[in-house]
Amino acid sequence: MTTDLGFWVLQTLNALQLSMLLFLLSVGLTVIFGLMHFVNLAHGSLYAFGAYVAATLSGTLGYWGGFLLAPLAVAVLGAGLYFSLIQSQRRAGPMAQVLVTFGLIFVAVDATRLVWGDLPIGIAIPSFLDGQIALLGVEYPIYRLFIIALGLAILALLTLVLTRTQVGAMIRAGVDNDRMAACLGINVERMFFLVFVVGCALAGLAGAVAAPVLSVTPDMGLQILIPTLIVIVIGGLGSLRGAVAGSLIFGFVQTFGAVLLPTLSSVLIYALLAAVLVTRPEGLLPAKG
Amino acid sequence: MFTHTPLRLATLALLAAAALTYAAVAGFFGLEILAEIAILAILVIALDLVAGFGGMVSLCHGALLGVGAYAFTVAANDAGLTALPAMILAIALSTALAFVIGAVCARSTGIYFIMATLAFGQMAYSFVFQSPLYGGDDGLSGAPRPDLSALGIDLTDSRAFALYALLLVALAYAVAAATLRSGLGRSLVGLHHNEKRLRALGLTVWRAKATAFAISGALAGLAGCLAAQHTQYVSPGLLSWTVSGEALVVVILGGLGTLVGPILGAVLFVILKHEISALTPYWHAIVGLILIAVVMSRANGVFGFLETRLAARKPQPQVKEAKADA
Repeated sequence: MTTDLGFWVLQTLNALQLSMLLFLLSVGLTVIFGLMHFVNLAHGSLYAFGAYVAATLSGTLGYWGGFLLAPLAVAVLGAGLYFSLIQSQRRAGPMAQVLVTFGLIFVAVDATRLVWGDLPIGIAIPSFLDGQIALLGVEYPIYRLFIIALGLAILALLTLVLTRTQVGAMIRAGVDNDRMAACLGINVERMFFLVFVVGCALAGLAGAVAAPVLSVTPDMGLQILIPTLIVIVIGGLGSLRGAVAGSLIFGFVQTFGAVLLPTLSSVLIYALLAAVLVTRPEGLLPAKG
Repeated sequence: MFTHTPLRLATLALLAAAALTYAAVAGFFGLEILAEIAILAILVIALDLVAGFGGMVSLCHGALLGVGAYAFTVAANDAGLTALPAMILAIALSTALAFVIGAVCARSTGIYFIMATLAFGQMAYSFVFQSPLYGGDDGLSGAPRPDLSALGIDLTDSRAFALYALLLVALAYAVAAATLRSGLGRSLVGLHHNEKRLRALGLTVWRAKATAFAISGALAGLAGCLAAQHTQYVSPGLLSWTVSGEALVVVILGGLGTLVGPILGAVLFVILKHEISALTPYWHAIVGLILIAVVMSRANGVFGFLETRLAARKPQPQVKEAKADA
């Protein structure tokens, strides 16, 4: 099995697909943390909400309706959260933030159960992304390639915005030193809001693209939360490069661990996390040098 | 530093009296709830010891509890030990594990400490969940209850078991209070306030943190043994991070760093859970809303709120200042 080239291609694609999904989730979370020093455990719930909205809307508006509107809906929800909870907890310290957002998870899980029920919801793949394609000797689902391409496109877009535009420079300045940035005339509060809402929208987008491959269940947000946190802690809180590196490490360790060392696979990723935290407590590529 | 204020002593006495009265009159279901409260109370005492006083917010206490429960069950079933030696072995294992985790995580603070403990907790969870040796996701059954027939006590009786569980809560509380009053406990509180200063005073910081974490782990292991004896069944779910998260919620609802408050929190949490889940399947949402309200109110839980209210009402005695100088 392991000498077959097709096996490696297939597993590499699987790993990339998982990495890109995690990247969409972790990038919002990590930039929110880097900029606002805010730990949002409810980020996974936003992802679940995105998946539910996409699943519901796809019934009437088709897949692309859900795909486009889910991030918007999650962004609106995020804006509501920002003004009701996040803003007042900004300076409350990590403990209070962890607890408030942990409480939010409880509320979110039950709210989705109340609205959409306990049963998993399925969502159809749009016809031209359905089916398989031959690639380097393996048959691979087109939809999963689409997830990889989407992740790469978002990565390129974010890199461009963060490194080449004025808004990006302002965000980087804010991550580096938010007080100094405010002194230089940057409206840091408005930037926080913008970044938070964009992070939420990306979580919603991740939910929408994940909906057809994973089943949409009330606890999907809780299930993705730990992998997302591992990604941003391994990569280094607050850094885009860290989120990319963390997502790739997690995706590959998880995927190849599951096929090569099935009895150890899930211990492996936690052992890796512990090793990173012991040797590089700030993560592999921290935002601040 | 931890002191027994009159309010804390009064609350303890009230809780003890209420628990003993309830244990005497309650029916089977009530006694089961009492044992459930006792298990949670021991776990939150363990968590408050490190989180409330040492600032080490741990998300691996569920795993430490689970390791205690599994070790007890395996030692009793497979190694053929009787309940008491099996308990000692299980607690020793949780203690050793907690010491290692505490030593490794000693350098991390804040969110990194939380994540590091989460990693170790999930490692233990995944190991137990995947390993076929320990029943995997089916769990293990057949944990025995201690045989106290020599003393004329039958622990298979739920009233006797509830009283035994309450006794273990008292023991756990005594251990935690004694730890906090010892030199180690004072160092722990000092570390929470200013680690640099304690380092300058010559304290070996990692050892103090690891030792405190180990004592906390011992208590969590004790809670695990009690949980295994209570349901006589252990499942990997005991080690899950959500158990640790729930314990943290209870500590916060009760009052972080008060030791008495979390016990009160455990009582309220278990009762609320049973009352609300009888009314609606969505009791988690109610707990979540209460949690958000408590944290946003900036009160230190139910007990912390009482303490600050009472302290605000009566003028601060002058004697306290003089004592601190002496």
